[in-house]
Amino acid sequence: MAERYLEELTKIHDAVKQDLLGGRINLLLGWEKGHYWWQSRPLFAENEQDLERLTWDSFCAVNLSRYLLEELKDYQKIGVLVKGCDSRSFNRLLQDNMVARQRVVLYGLPCPGMLDYELLTATAEAELESIAEQNGIVVLRSAAGEKTVEREQLLLYKCRDCRYPDPVVYDQLLLAPRGEKEAPERYKSVTKLEEMPADERYTHWEKELSRCLRCYACRQACPYCSCRECFVEQDKPRWQGRAYQESENFLFHLVRAYHGAGRCIDCGECQRACPVNIPLQELNRKLIKDINELYGQFEAGLNADLEPPLLTYKPDDPAAFSEK
Amino acid sequence: MPRTGVFICHCGTNIAGTVDIARAIDASRNFPGVVHADEYRYLCSEMGQDLIKNAINENNLDRVVVGTCSPRMHEGTFRKAAAEAGLNPYMLEVANIREHCSWVHRDIEEGTPKAIALLRAAAAKVALNDPLDSPELEVEKRALVIGGGIAGIQAAIDIAEAGYVVDVVEREPSIGGRMAQLEKTFPTLDCSACILTPKMVEAAQHPNINLITYSEVEEVKGFVGQFDVKIKMKARSIDPVKCTGCGVCYEKCPAKAPSEFEMGMTKRKAIYVPFPQAVPNVPVIDRENCLYFKKGRCQICAKECPPQAVDYEQQDQIIERRYGAIIVATGFDQLDPSSYGEYGYGQHPDILTALEFERLFNASGPTGGKVVRLSDGKPPKKVVFIQCIGSRDKARGMNYCSKICCMFTAKQAILLKEKVPDAKSYVFYIDVRTAGKGYEEFQRRAAEEYDVAYLRGQVGKIFPEGDHLVVHGVDSLSGKVVDIKADMVVLAAASIARADAPEVGRIVGINSDSYHFFNEAHPKLKPVETHTAGVFIAGACQAPKDIPDTVAQAGAAAVKAIGLLSKDVLKGEACTAIVNQAECSGCLYCEAVCPYNAINHIEIEERYHEEMHKRTVAEVNPSLCQGCGSCSVACRSGSINLKGFTNEQILAEVDAICLQR
Repeated sequence: MAERYLEELTKIHDAVKQDLLGGRINLLLGWEKGHYWWQSRPLFAENEQDLERLTWDSFCAVNLSRYLLEELKDYQKIGVLVKGCDSRSFNRLLQDNMVARQRVVLYGLPCPGMLDYELLTATAEAELESIAEQNGIVVLRSAAGEKTVEREQLLLYKCRDCRYPDPVVYDQLLLAPRGEKEAPERYKSVTKLEEMPADERYTHWEKELSRCLRCYACRQACPYCSCRECFVEQDKPRWQGRAYQESENFLFHLVRAYHGAGRCIDCGECQRACPVNIPLQELNRKLIKDINELYGQFEAGLNADLEPPLLTYKPDDPAAFSEK
Repeated sequence: MPRTGVFICHCGTNIAGTVDIARAIDASRNFPGVVHADEYRYLCSEMGQDLIKNAINENNLDRVVVGTCSPRMHEGTFRKAAAEAGLNPYMLEVANIREHCSWVHRDIEEGTPKAIALLRAAAAKVALNDPLDSPELEVEKRALVIGGGIAGIQAAIDIAEAGYVVDVVEREPSIGGRMAQLEKTFPTLDCSACILTPKMVEAAQHPNINLITYSEVEEVKGFVGQFDVKIKMKARSIDPVKCTGCGVCYEKCPAKAPSEFEMGMTKRKAIYVPFPQAVPNVPVIDRENCLYFKKGRCQICAKECPPQAVDYEQQDQIIERRYGAIIVATGFDQLDPSSYGEYGYGQHPDILTALEFERLFNASGPTGGKVVRLSDGKPPKKVVFIQCIGSRDKARGMNYCSKICCMFTAKQAILLKEKVPDAKSYVFYIDVRTAGKGYEEFQRRAAEEYDVAYLRGQVGKIFPEGDHLVVHGVDSLSGKVVDIKADMVVLAAASIARADAPEVGRIVGINSDSYHFFNEAHPKLKPVETHTAGVFIAGACQAPKDIPDTVAQAGAAAVKAIGLLSKDVLKGEACTAIVNQAECSGCLYCEAVCPYNAINHIEIEERYHEEMHKRTVAEVNPSLCQGCGSCSVACRSGSINLKGFTNEQILAEVDAICLQR
């Protein structure tokens, strides 16, 4: 795997270098290594020197499309490396009129799924020194020795039920496509929650949401949260109380989830960004499931030309409120 | 600080019976911003309005809350009164303490606190009200009538006579509708064609009327005074300018199809006019059944047509036109009684619906006007009429009474006796309902002079026996089981809404009842208006109706339309949406959900990092906006707000109700 990444990185590097130096793009959004070996953080490359730090490995989880919102104010034309979920995020932004398609060059990277560092250390049961990957196996190296685990077992939660590893929109596809995947367990947790009695479900969310620090990292990472001023920050009217209490946490997360109804592309960045591990994807998936059941199968972000179901009217739409 | 006055209406005992007015007044005095509170027995009366006007002047009020009936009743009245006292009319709020409170509570202890809460909410909202202005809208002086039956024809003639241009869109190749299918009309036994045809011709020849037949309304956008309508003119395959109506084409046409006009009892040609008096007298080619369109060969009509009017290449056309007012007069259908297995409809040629039976009397009908059995061509000697097939039938059909059946049955029994003097009629009925001028006399004549036997009871079964149909029923007055050996059975099948009424309602933007009949705006006081301003209804699309009522209603709808068209400008909606462009992110979801095309997007320039940047944001056209609020719901950042119903105002109301006791 590691060799494969190197080979792929060379391909990516060559392609973007040519465009950046040739002036086709003024900025490349990619990844570079962070403070730790298990971190790959966004890279903002303006020149060849910046580009030397470009990386591509199993930790490039950060969704780069979201950074376009800010960067397009300063750069005329931006190249972005997009995995499957990043490309669907791009479609989200495109459909919300947040980006101009002609000002962005998308380099498609079919994605093997990214690894979860917390899961790696938990599995190793010791502080990890490094990992090695080969043929779907990950070797965990720690002071305690080596442990081999199947790669599938170590994926980030957001990657486990990924159906579209290949970018759905791109200008250049840099790597070999991986094909669509089945995700039979995608709604497993939602179904379990739906089956709970209402009180029990409330207690469950009360417990989960009580940890929320209201740092709004979920919102900052989210491709559907593109408002110029979020309702939580407005003071006329003041929708969101500033107090740090459960009812306010509920309000924030439920309203945010509703804002994503029919729009959430299920990239799972909210949950990955959450510092206190609130299972936010389940809130979003519940709404995705409901929308699918009410308005027919719809996968947001797959096609920017398909209008979200809540923005369209069809004569055969269900009238759940008036027809009982 | 606002200076709000609160005025509470007793509405006789309507409100005062369940709300302790004195307590509500006391409570109102303590609401923030309230400086005056008063009560009156009937606030909507002139004295009541004067009370408000005087209080505004004496107490220097800048805001008013009235605790009265629904704003739909009297908001306009009180706004006008406030304006007469010098206030902007939108500085007044109505607390609906009648429909929302006194009428739904029996107990004064329940009603009073709720009325106080509603008044407190209105006072909290009015404190945030801003003066609003109505935009002025031009009125397009042209009306659209949808449906060319007697209702549509009458409405069109009335509007045209008042001097306005009116377009009548009719789906069928000819105007005339259901009335054209009738032989005679009750209670005078006028020949239907004799009284309808002159009206059809008048409509066709009137300089202010355009008949757009064989066409359907596809889309209605816009609003009162300025409806933008797309009409699809189906390809007729005939050039109406060249066609002389000679009829050679349909004489020679070799292809046949069941005649819709004759209820499928006979065939028409693939090129046809639906009936001899058709207006316009221009045939159409039914392309599904035409040999040329099906197989590419024939073209006999084109070869035979003297003026060369046949045009196989004709395409559907879309007309786009603006109208100030719309009248919907799309008529009704007759229930298909096949689902009532006991009557055997569809299984025997001598079991007919009333409309089918009606056609047997007509000289151009399937039997050339001879009343005979379709099975053997013999005149029927015993005919059983059965009432209320699907009507007044809670279990299997419609709850409502179809209204016209008692009368048309009496008419058909009389006509039968005149055509077949030795025929005997039996009528099975639940009740005989003959409200209407001359109706009771007419029905009594049928029973007394035309030997029609009325049997109160229901029919359980009809089965063939030899040449006859045995009608097995109960005469509930004598309690006896009756078996009648009939030659023919006529079913008074219910009048129902057109199958596509829901679709028409959606296109035009009006709602309907659970049976898909279009709803009037008020069952008593606004019988031809709808909840969509500028759209009126007439005829049986609103409820089953006979010809006199239909014509009267068509006239009423025309008067409403004329009243509208006679204005040069209308006062538009003051409560329109407004965009906070600094906050708007330009996602334009508002534009997508706006049903009135009132939202556009524009580019604005904005300073960012010392440079000017262009950015797209939403913009509302206030003269198109109808204040429905869909946009403000779709906007996640609350950047689009509805004037008069801002987020702040609504939250203030919620807080006033929920946070204080």
